[in-house]
Amino acid sequence: MHLILQYCLFAFAIFILPPSLLGLIRKVKARLQNRTGAPIWQPILDLAKLLQKRETVSNTASWVFRFAAATNASLALYLAVVLPWISPRPYAGPCDLFMVIYILAAMRFFTILAAMDTGSAFGAFAASREATLSFLVEPAAVLSLAALAIPSQSSDLIVIFSNSVDHYPALWLLSGTAFLLASMVELSRMPIDDPTTHLELTMVHEAMILEASAGNLALFEFANAVKLAVLFGLTSQCYLHALLNLGTVSPFANVCLSLGSLLAVAAGVGAFESVAVKLYWRKAPEFIAYALTLALLACIVTLGASLK
Amino acid sequence: MKLNLKQLSSEERTARLKAALDAGDRLGLITSIDGDQLIMLLLSPGKRSIDCYETPVAGGTYKSATAMVPQAHWFERTTWDMFGLVPEGHPRLKRTHLHEPYTLTSPPLSHERRKAIEKTIQPESGDRRHAGDRSYHFLGVEGQGVYEIPVGPIHAGIIEPGHFRFSCYGEIILNLEIRLGYVHRGIEKRLSEVPWQRGRFVAEAAASDMPVANSLAHATAVEYLLQIEVPRLALYLRSIALEIERIAMHLSDLGGLAGDIGFLAIASSMGRLRGVALRMGELLSGNRLMRGFICPGGVVSASMRVAEEIAQLARQLKQELKPVVAFYMDNQVAVDRMEGVGVVRSSLAREFGLVGVAARASGDRYDCRNYWNHGAYPNVDLEPANETSGDVFARAKVRISEIETSLKLLINFLDDLKEGSFLVSLPDRLEANSSSVAIVESHRGELIHFIHTDARGEIQRYCIKDASVNNWTALAIAVRNNVVADFPLCNKSFSLSYSGHDL
Repeated sequence: MHLILQYCLFAFAIFILPPSLLGLIRKVKARLQNRTGAPIWQPILDLAKLLQKRETVSNTASWVFRFAAATNASLALYLAVVLPWISPRPYAGPCDLFMVIYILAAMRFFTILAAMDTGSAFGAFAASREATLSFLVEPAAVLSLAALAIPSQSSDLIVIFSNSVDHYPALWLLSGTAFLLASMVELSRMPIDDPTTHLELTMVHEAMILEASAGNLALFEFANAVKLAVLFGLTSQCYLHALLNLGTVSPFANVCLSLGSLLAVAAGVGAFESVAVKLYWRKAPEFIAYALTLALLACIVTLGASLK
Repeated sequence: MKLNLKQLSSEERTARLKAALDAGDRLGLITSIDGDQLIMLLLSPGKRSIDCYETPVAGGTYKSATAMVPQAHWFERTTWDMFGLVPEGHPRLKRTHLHEPYTLTSPPLSHERRKAIEKTIQPESGDRRHAGDRSYHFLGVEGQGVYEIPVGPIHAGIIEPGHFRFSCYGEIILNLEIRLGYVHRGIEKRLSEVPWQRGRFVAEAAASDMPVANSLAHATAVEYLLQIEVPRLALYLRSIALEIERIAMHLSDLGGLAGDIGFLAIASSMGRLRGVALRMGELLSGNRLMRGFICPGGVVSASMRVAEEIAQLARQLKQELKPVVAFYMDNQVAVDRMEGVGVVRSSLAREFGLVGVAARASGDRYDCRNYWNHGAYPNVDLEPANETSGDVFARAKVRISEIETSLKLLINFLDDLKEGSFLVSLPDRLEANSSSVAIVESHRGELIHFIHTDARGEIQRYCIKDASVNNWTALAIAVRNNVVADFPLCNKSFSLSYSGHDL
């Protein structure tokens, strides 16, 4: 009985929660601009609408174009199953941090392939931007998680996030923030890319999926929403660890805390995005440098602590 | 003002133009009346005088002035398109309005006799004078790693159509070629066909975000040909309407700029403030965009009761604008995004005859409100906005300063209103065989309406020159060596009209 409930909750967490998080971010942005905004579940309705539409595929596109969205959605769901981004999670297998980083890279790889496959100029330059950003942000993402791995002496994220013996709040805070900044780049959100813009020439992620439509677009959007939920989920878990020792709270409190902190991170991102200004393209490395510096700082803190 | 057409031989034409520009005069317009002549309007703002030269054109060709005077290039292309007059020696002679699908074999604005001549030129001869030749070739940039991005004519969002062809090297724009003409509706031709009493409805539709400026220019030009005096109250109300339009559009453009850098808080605040300006327009004219308010002879309605209410709104807008502008301009990242982006140097601004916000951001202090008769101008004390850096930030600052100036002017005008008549009855006929011109400072810049009547007093030629005609070239110059991702920002900072150009 307990297990069934867990599975139901988890299904909710991977199918309903991610689009709703997007909706929450949009709602916060709308409210901060004095607009009513669409309901929080609007992205779910959008996905349902897209699934009902008839697809248009460019004549020059090959099978890669349609294969990519499905691959991305599967990889995103896989990440959602194995990563400790929310509680409860019925599956508890190994989950290596390097594998996670390269699954994210694989998702990007397929998106880039799909963008270039149709031969549109927008897709191609967006792909080149995405590739540039990804190799810049990868060290920051790896280091922020690697810093966490040091006290646990393991690169398995499950072990890392369930380690309640060595508790360093500063480490979790620094790593969490570094990971959040890296995630903003990874997810093509402000201040690197403006997800609300209609201007193709300024886009990164959106320009890559311009050619996708109907179910294909729905899969891309869904994969991106799941990725957002997972990455923000990991961030919120880091912050929870910084605030209290999670080994000591009851499972029910854990569920509430993880959901609440995830919503708080999403709302915070929404608030940040409504006052942030999109960076000049050539200044993007500077923003990534913040993430990298924080991650390095986290490494130094944890190495210093382990030397004692 | 009424114009006297002075004759100028084709040999002297370029030299006269060059000399006038060197002396600080401005090129207003180059066009033709029916394809037998070139009309050139030279403006001397200092003397507040306008010279209009007529040069006979024999055989459908004349010597291009573009090589000496770059700002003539677009006028000469348009004249070729509309009248079939070929500028010999034009470096980049291409169509501006009539695209491949047009099946006309003769230029649309030339008279029947010229059309007949055009038809005798065979298309096979490869002679570009053939009016049916609609071929268009974009300037190619070659080299390893250079690629092209075609954008438009249909864009995302609710904006007008125009094609942009970028030649890029990585993220850097090497060249931008702009192709317009997708919303060519034949406004100029139509204005010479409808009875002149009804012309105002056509004229104000030339560009729908500046109906006040266009209807004011139309009314002023027509009034010169009717030789009537407009009552003082009407002149003031016209200026009030023009300033309200300027405030509303500048607010909208500032909001657009903020939107393009993802600064959503400012974008939506500007949208709200624009609503206040539109409310003033509605109080004044019963219509938020003030369509149909200005007519030859005065304005269609006037109510002294609303003056205080509009002034109240203007003061409220002034108060509410302050914190928004401060929040915008104190944001270092926002300023960083605009500074040094899309620079038009002042030498180029002069050379290409930029007008309006773009000119005043590049160190040119030309503001039509200080020189030419329209509404209550030029007898108003007005300090033109002046920035010198010529970048997106300068254009934003010019807009902010102009909103402040306009609010001040608006309140002064409202305080100065005196009861009186606001509409005079019109004579039946326009003066025959004469020309007149009206120059208005629209929110985009210098807007010129030129009218020429034939022997029966009917409008033979109606020419509209929107500020966009001068400034589209500036956009192509400004984006060079900028990154592709900053193009929308540069574009918005000029805020040019597609339909105002295409007519």
